[in-house]
Amino acid sequence: MTDTSHDMEPFNLQFPFTRTLGSTLSTFFSALAKGQLIGVRVGDRVIAPPLEYDPETAADAGSDWVKVGPKGTVSTWTWVPQPTHLHTLQEPFAFAFITLDGADTPMIHVVQASEDQLKAGLRVEAQFKPEGEANGRIDDIVAFVPASDPSPSVGAGEPFEAPAENEIENMDSYCDLVYIDNASPSTRLWMDSLLNGKLIGQVCPVCNRTYVGPRGLCCVDAVELDDTTLVEVFGKGVVANFTVITPTPYPGQLETEPFVRVSILLDGTDAVMGQQTIIGIPASEVRVGMHVEIEWAPEGERDVEDIGNRGYGATGGAVHGWRPTGEPDEPAENYIERMM
Amino acid sequence: MPRTENDIAIVGYAQSPMLRRSEHTETEMMLPTVQGALKMAGLTKDDIGFTVSGSCDYLSGQAFSFVSNVDAYGAWPPINESHVEMDGAWAMYEAFVRLLQGDIDTAVAAGVGKNSNSDAATLYTIEVDPYYLTPLGADPQSLAALQYRALLDSGKATERDVAELVARNRASAKGNVHAQVSGDFDVDELLAADYVRNPLRRHDLPPTTDGCAAVVLARGKKAYELCERPVWITGIDHRIEPHLPTLRQDLTSSISTKLAADGAGAGNGPIEVAEVYAPFSFQELIVTEALGLGADTAVNPSGGALAANPVMVTGLIRVIEAAKQIMENGKSRTLAHATSGPCLQQNLVTILEGDA
Repeated sequence: MTDTSHDMEPFNLQFPFTRTLGSTLSTFFSALAKGQLIGVRVGDRVIAPPLEYDPETAADAGSDWVKVGPKGTVSTWTWVPQPTHLHTLQEPFAFAFITLDGADTPMIHVVQASEDQLKAGLRVEAQFKPEGEANGRIDDIVAFVPASDPSPSVGAGEPFEAPAENEIENMDSYCDLVYIDNASPSTRLWMDSLLNGKLIGQVCPVCNRTYVGPRGLCCVDAVELDDTTLVEVFGKGVVANFTVITPTPYPGQLETEPFVRVSILLDGTDAVMGQQTIIGIPASEVRVGMHVEIEWAPEGERDVEDIGNRGYGATGGAVHGWRPTGEPDEPAENYIERMM
Repeated sequence: MPRTENDIAIVGYAQSPMLRRSEHTETEMMLPTVQGALKMAGLTKDDIGFTVSGSCDYLSGQAFSFVSNVDAYGAWPPINESHVEMDGAWAMYEAFVRLLQGDIDTAVAAGVGKNSNSDAATLYTIEVDPYYLTPLGADPQSLAALQYRALLDSGKATERDVAELVARNRASAKGNVHAQVSGDFDVDELLAADYVRNPLRRHDLPPTTDGCAAVVLARGKKAYELCERPVWITGIDHRIEPHLPTLRQDLTSSISTKLAADGAGAGNGPIEVAEVYAPFSFQELIVTEALGLGADTAVNPSGGALAANPVMVTGLIRVIEAAKQIMENGKSRTLAHATSGPCLQQNLVTILEGDA
């Protein structure tokens, strides 16, 4: 069974971050930016590109730097016929294990060649970005290409003298992930009811608690709640908790003045509706125990774009907010410390 | 061998439907699965000493989804709960170790993964080495293909061997109600398909699956109270290799699988059935060789990960399928293998035995 009919809007998770490289990777990438590949000698072998530790023994790999490459030998390969946004080349290319001259361990990198040239044993050489375009990243090597002269690299295996200070100490990264979730059956029931200007819940047949909105399960008894447990609930309740948020500017924040978000326990129900808006009074006057009633957005102006599978009872763009009724407050101690 | 209070057995299990795209959330997939496993053991939520789940927020794209998922256990009054960012097979490993402390006698372990929300190629590319591999877009298919090419070049297998393995797994999956991919396939037709990443073809890749699985463990006498034929965990071991595939000693063998199998005591007796988690078809050959399995062991009668691959669950499903062979099919000694990371980086081996 495939269900793609209830997909929600794509959610783009993006965050930039800067990684510190530490002394070993900093030495490697600073040398790479100048077109020099290096490894580190650990025991009787040279690991290239270098690591801070010997993966076999966990010993500190030290700083016995060794020049490696720029030529090397392919030991295994694969062909990428249709590159994606992830890849550095946008034409068909190969990934390969390449053991650089002077190194004892391979590295993974890109090979630009024709598919029929590829085989274990192929001699390749690194093509570097032009000086000035290199910025100390592994893709400063644009690609390896078949070596015009298969003879050993000049200088490979010789010691490398690291500068007193490395120029490259950080690496910028960017995480960019796209998710497409789908609205679960109980979420769809809630969306439909909001668009119709109604509130609904589900009653657990075991504990008799009424959950607003429907969530398809009772989290206390661990039983599934199906459509037979649906009930209509009504837009009057009591503030069970609140917080006043002083907005700080960040992308997407539209609020400029302190605003309040409240949890509301509807009369006759057992689970609060979180993250609700209070209208008609200043944030500073909101109290636990205050009676409120719902103010719907007019029919035709309601939207449920912000409704997801979590945040049970979220009302999104279907409701303007909750207006105090003026009735005397309920005792706060009857409402505080609710977990749900 | 007589069982002691330090022996721990599987006494219940359940799997959710395995779907390309479930309409349910992880929590909704989990609740009937966890409660189904408890029901099989004749337990209710209040009887459980410890619960542990395996899942990954990055799959569903929901921060703290593992916290919402605790609803599936009915976590009020508060329960003893843990979580691993690993396949449910490792959750079971934690439950096993927890039971060894001897103060509780039941535990539940589950794995859940809503894989269809995300794009696996992008997601797993940010999980590999962030300095040397992520910037190149070293995606999981490419890394697996590099391993597959090395296997072919080693002479240990041919593309035909691997296509035959795919056909065998898909045919076996016909008997598995949870299989997403199954049926009879012609090896020559499989070999005629285009490469996705030479030498990987589409049929060498696992399907994308949403699903959940859960097991109930019990200790000592309690296992006999709950189950007519408890499935004893007589050995379990987990080994890890360097995260950079270039620093493995040999891509075409799996030293971590071999060490885990030795640690779990795989060689202490014949193994009738092995359920192996090989996300990419050819990896089954590497794993079965490392496990030292011979022709007398049936491998993946369920169809394995090629039949359904809910990441975070597939390893625990292997345990359940291997346990089923003992509880329902009269077998006496089986093996379950689980893996994690690129090119079989981490491997967990569990040995299961029924009473004679």
